[in-house]
Amino acid sequence: MRSRLAGTLVPAVGVILVLAMPFMTTDRYLFKVLTFVGLNLIVVAGLALLFGYAGQISLGHAAFFGIGAYTAGYLTGEAAVPWLVATLVAALLAALVGFVLSLPMLRLKGHYLAMATLGFSEIMTVLFIEARGITGGNDGLRGIPYPSLGSFKIDTPSGVYLLVWITAIVVLVLAANLVRTRPGRALRALHGAELGAQACGIDTGRLRVQVFALSAGLAGLAGALYASAVGFISPTTFSLEFSVLLVAMVVLGGTGSVTGPVVACVLLTLLPYVDALVPGLPREVVSFLQDWEADIAGIVMILVLLFAPGGVAGLLRRSPRVGEAE
Amino acid sequence: MTLLAARGLSKRFGGLVAVDDVSFDVYEGTIKALIGPNGAGKSTLFNLLTGFDRPDVGEVLFADTSIVGLQPHRVVRAGMARTFQNTQMFGEMTVTENVLVGMHTRLRTGFAAGALRLPPTRAVERDAIARANHLLRLVGADAFGDAPGADVPHGVRRLVEIARALASAPKLLLLDEPAAGLNNTETVALAASLRRIQADGTTILIVEHDMGLVMEISDEIIVLDRGRKIAEGSPRLIQKDAAVIEAYLGEVIVDA
Amino acid sequence: MSSSELLQFLISGLQNGAVYALVGLGFTLVYASTGIINFAQGEFFMLGGMLAVAGVRMGLPLPLSILAAVLLSAGVGVAMERFALRPRRDSGALVLIIITIGASMVLKSLARHIFGPNEMALPAFTPGPPVLLLGAAIDRQVLWIWGLTIVAVVGLTLLYTKTKLGRAMRASSLSHDAARLMGIDTAGVVMISFGLAAALGALGGAAVAPLTQTAFDVGARAGLKGFAAAILGGLGNPIAAVVGGLVLGVLESLSVAFISSTYKDAISLVLLLAVLFLRPQGLLGKSGREKV
Repeated sequence: MRSRLAGTLVPAVGVILVLAMPFMTTDRYLFKVLTFVGLNLIVVAGLALLFGYAGQISLGHAAFFGIGAYTAGYLTGEAAVPWLVATLVAALLAALVGFVLSLPMLRLKGHYLAMATLGFSEIMTVLFIEARGITGGNDGLRGIPYPSLGSFKIDTPSGVYLLVWITAIVVLVLAANLVRTRPGRALRALHGAELGAQACGIDTGRLRVQVFALSAGLAGLAGALYASAVGFISPTTFSLEFSVLLVAMVVLGGTGSVTGPVVACVLLTLLPYVDALVPGLPREVVSFLQDWEADIAGIVMILVLLFAPGGVAGLLRRSPRVGEAE
Repeated sequence: MTLLAARGLSKRFGGLVAVDDVSFDVYEGTIKALIGPNGAGKSTLFNLLTGFDRPDVGEVLFADTSIVGLQPHRVVRAGMARTFQNTQMFGEMTVTENVLVGMHTRLRTGFAAGALRLPPTRAVERDAIARANHLLRLVGADAFGDAPGADVPHGVRRLVEIARALASAPKLLLLDEPAAGLNNTETVALAASLRRIQADGTTILIVEHDMGLVMEISDEIIVLDRGRKIAEGSPRLIQKDAAVIEAYLGEVIVDA
Repeated sequence: MSSSELLQFLISGLQNGAVYALVGLGFTLVYASTGIINFAQGEFFMLGGMLAVAGVRMGLPLPLSILAAVLLSAGVGVAMERFALRPRRDSGALVLIIITIGASMVLKSLARHIFGPNEMALPAFTPGPPVLLLGAAIDRQVLWIWGLTIVAVVGLTLLYTKTKLGRAMRASSLSHDAARLMGIDTAGVVMISFGLAAALGALGGAAVAPLTQTAFDVGARAGLKGFAAAILGGLGNPIAAVVGGLVLGVLESLSVAFISSTYKDAISLVLLLAVLFLRPQGLLGKSGREKV
């Protein structure tokens, strides 16, 4: 068992380090890369609840990320809606789509559920490309304004970095709290033994819908932040590969944990950008990692499931897991 | 006073009649046992009563309200909680957490409150944990509180499921073979726990093969054979019933 | 719309439908023998086309390239089952799904490294002008697709009904334990179904490559369409997968004719979701047959 001290100390040091970063460096590339890590953390927090705790797979989270990004991009750009309003609307819209999609999906399990989310993801890809009036088609949306609150504009790489990471930290703290209280326990019960969960008075259908909408909303929130952080979005970003990469993060991190997926998300996101952390790295190594990112993620995912089903979290617990995903 | 009333319940699976026109009452404050040879339809009957399966015909009245067609979680909210013959533990959660899940209907913490975990929520959690520990002591499984559900012995799982069912503070507790996998000492302890639960005001309907336990604790017994009710009455009466003895075909029903 | 135009749409629908059927048959075979959905099935479709193109570019004669592509793909399918899935055979559906998803990601990405990111075309099997039928033109390649689909279906049917292996496959699809008790090598059956499924997908990919071109990233959508075909018919029945594929192809083609070509792919995917949500047992399957 981890000691109570380590359980509070490690995250606290991490948070201080994250917040102190802008005072330690001015490297724009580093901030950009770390911003991606923070954005992925927000999505992974939701996916860890949906997949890691409630045991429901989704291959459609890149699409929810995309819904958030296009909504925020269109609203802040074309429609000149204030940034905060646009971001909240984007997150809520993604959650709403997740809610509506999850209702008929209640009847599905396992393979069928995964396939339905995959189908949804591909439908959204078609929409992102074809609904040119809103999405700009294959060219995407350009010139999306930076985040701003009233007249206060967050337009520096370090500012955007802080905004994203503070959001990510808040989301992670809330998720970690959630799994320790009644709704989180219900999620874990759902995954553990559905009949047992029903016998405990848990409305398993309602819970499924709730957690799916919540995780879709978090993906939408991250997408909205992404759009205003990067200023340019195009359909290729919201592809199936991104969905699979997100799932790979939770698998590598270990189901039934928030910490594990966080570690895995940081590792896998940094993989193609290691040169931001290690400046002297030979060009060939970096381009190899960028080129082979998907292969590495896929192989790691298979190897973890074959040889270390507990993932990072399992290694942290230092004891072999008896039960695993389903 | 009748707490639970089954009226003409029938259920068939394909060509097989699993439960055939069964009616009975469970009176408030009593322990009623449901016995019968393997395949008599006891578990199916349990599923019909608790919403896990729907009867083809018949009515289930709980505190004079029909509960047929309610989903299992609504049945729990109405005041009936059950355990399973094949235990349904949450293997990755500790035994204490398992019991805390049983308090789902008693606690109010929603997604927002749970995520914020403000002091009032923490206080609710502390009380819940204290109550979970109390229930584990009541059934005699308190030594396993911190163990993951998957790691505890089968006999103990049944006890934990009883604590988990009690956690919803039910009016009626339905137990499916709670003594299976327990040794003699543990069975004696279980009988004492069940009496205490009864004394606390909880009515119990129990399916059990251990006739010693059944004869000792029940106020009334109902006997099923091939889906039909063949006898109902006090333990004394049942022990002498010719039809019951024939149904068990020489199985020793009185070993106490 | 004239009747010959309509016929043209119908032909193009049956052309795509036959390809969906081949991919869908692969889903059905694997599902029947293992109860799992292979999310990498679409990648074998991709491999079939890409390997055939690679063979031709290496100077192999076209028929030999296609044969080699189909066999190699089957080998990849068998290897995937043997080394990535069998070790976790007893794990839950979730674990197996994710392994096949991981495999699909790796196959697709490897294909990009090996064959490059560009679209490639395979030469037509028998070049020549289209065949005219009642005012509609049928590309010779379409005749090949239909022919190969028919051969595959007839071959599978014979395999299932006339051979010892086929009986073993049917027995183990009904019950693994019972089949094992009858002395059937269920592990072997599972491996063969993966190989056959991969071969069928690859055949579809190679057959359609001269018409549509192929690329490293065509697998996911082909897989989805093939799955839609299999589920439309009702998983587990080969004939139903073929019917499902043809129905899907024709519906898709008619939607292009009457609604919009822009949303052609979206329409067939919406159809897939609708079937999943409303009739998961398929249009031909018995209602309430299985819990999904």
